[in-house]
Amino acid sequence: MAPTSWTLLVAGVLLVLLLVWVTFTLTRLRRLESRVTRAWDVLDVALARRADLLAAVGRERSAELGPDRGAALTGAVEVSRRPPGGDREAAENALGRVLRELPGSLRGPELDDAGWRVGLARRFYNDAVRDTRALRRRPLARVLRLPGRRPLPRFFDIDDGLDAVVGAGRSEGR
Amino acid sequence: MRIGLVCPYQWDVPGGVQYHVRDLADTLRGLGHHVEILTPALHEENLPAEHVTWAGRANAVPYNGSMASWQFGPVSATRVRRWLRDGHFDVVHVHEPAPPSVSLLVCMLARGPIVATFHAAAIRSLFLSAWGPVVRPWLERIAGRIAVSDFARRLQVEHLGGDAVVIPNGVHVHAFAEGPVLPGYQRGSSTPTVGFLGRYDEPRKGLPVLLEAMRTVVRECPGARLLVAGRGDPDELRALLGPDLEPAVTLLGELSEPDKAAFLRSVDVYCAPNLMGESFGIVLVEAMAAGAPVVAADLDAFARVLEDGDAGVLVRRGDASALARVLVDLLASPARRAELTAAGHRRAADFDWATLAQQVLAVYETVAPPGGGEVTAADDDPPDVEPAETPAADRFLPRWLRRGPGA
Repeated sequence: MAPTSWTLLVAGVLLVLLLVWVTFTLTRLRRLESRVTRAWDVLDVALARRADLLAAVGRERSAELGPDRGAALTGAVEVSRRPPGGDREAAENALGRVLRELPGSLRGPELDDAGWRVGLARRFYNDAVRDTRALRRRPLARVLRLPGRRPLPRFFDIDDGLDAVVGAGRSEGR
Repeated sequence: MRIGLVCPYQWDVPGGVQYHVRDLADTLRGLGHHVEILTPALHEENLPAEHVTWAGRANAVPYNGSMASWQFGPVSATRVRRWLRDGHFDVVHVHEPAPPSVSLLVCMLARGPIVATFHAAAIRSLFLSAWGPVVRPWLERIAGRIAVSDFARRLQVEHLGGDAVVIPNGVHVHAFAEGPVLPGYQRGSSTPTVGFLGRYDEPRKGLPVLLEAMRTVVRECPGARLLVAGRGDPDELRALLGPDLEPAVTLLGELSEPDKAAFLRSVDVYCAPNLMGESFGIVLVEAMAAGAPVVAADLDAFARVLEDGDAGVLVRRGDASALARVLVDLLASPARRAELTAAGHRRAADFDWATLAQQVLAVYETVAPPGGGEVTAADDDPPDVEPAETPAADRFLPRWLRRGPGA
């Protein structure tokens, strides 16, 4: 074969390999995207449940809460539902602080469970975001602009009062 | 919920992961869930008749001081696919998915919510740092990761690049709390006993430190005895004892599970003098569940289980005289022992399978919310749960290319 044919053959093989890799990566990206979406939906629901339960405490136990704490609680719930400037993290953080400052007698097991599930959902969401960002940061993926114009998913960082150890570590918080 | 558990190790060979899967499955069934297990085994007939599916035979590969299992190929893949298809699971829970095992196959073939538990707890692993990037495309399908200890989580974070929630290994607390004692050994008798459990010829288990401490203990509390249970060479141990300890030490040999529980219920103090290298310390939980006051070396893992000394006594590792002081005080004070027993009971409840299974269920519910659709196998045409819009190249490429290695 002439040198040109060789060059063409090599270029062809490289092109095929590149195409396979691109397809593979696009599939991965698509799957990760739906994982991020699903994880966000769950986190959203978990945060809403926590806010609802706190709102219920504010309504039903207002006498035990006292006026100051009651107002702070209702205010935090309101803000978390409509965060000013769209800063959901700050609003949820404020809500989490109110939750942690609640006296133990007002914090039923359901509220503890809701808080724990926020922690779980947040960790799994951030995990999905981390995997997506890692793949999108790969040089070839960036050069080929594989993700298109989709925005890079953002981490959701709030202090949910759980360190790395949940599970048996929960007893300390109870 | 319909739950599929995947154990990558041979079911009929004893091992921590196997027990973990078995106990988790039993507990979840007790809570009214439908649980199926997929696992390799040496012989298919060794598996329980129901709800356990044979995945073939795994090849054991020595790795990092223990055995890893290796199982890969079209035959195993077919079995995995059939199991996934027949199971109609809401969630699939694989264990130790990084090595090329049936767990990894499930990650490759299953479409839907996958939870994974990581058990291995080496701090550094050459294999994983090289292998991690290779399996990344499949591990990134896992929606929720669990680690059984902080060490397992660290391994996961460092080599596989993901976070994990820690849900520790469990213990069936009631199985340890109630039952017979070893014949001839009653807790609270005039000849109090200290218990040690483990391979006593392994230096890292620290038996020599305990023996050194016992010399003082038998001097100060005449009648005190040391019970040693576990595997090892008895002659070698006797050579260590010398005439002063010989009458005070009893070797029980290797114990069966029920005998182990009876042993832990019989001793007045349980001692874990380990010098290093424990990643969790499940035996401390078992001892606490059995009501034995625990004295342990101050390894990180032990300190965590004992809540920095609230649920048991921590002693500087390798310090025989400090250990002796603690043991003498404890054996002389029934009140302090009762206090520790109560604290231990409280702590053991945190590790009861009933508690942990609820936490695992919360993980399942987080990755598989109601109405999320069931898990399917790769070659089925799944009901379209993926988002409707597909990247342009996907539509443009022919189907065989679109499937690609990852589809």
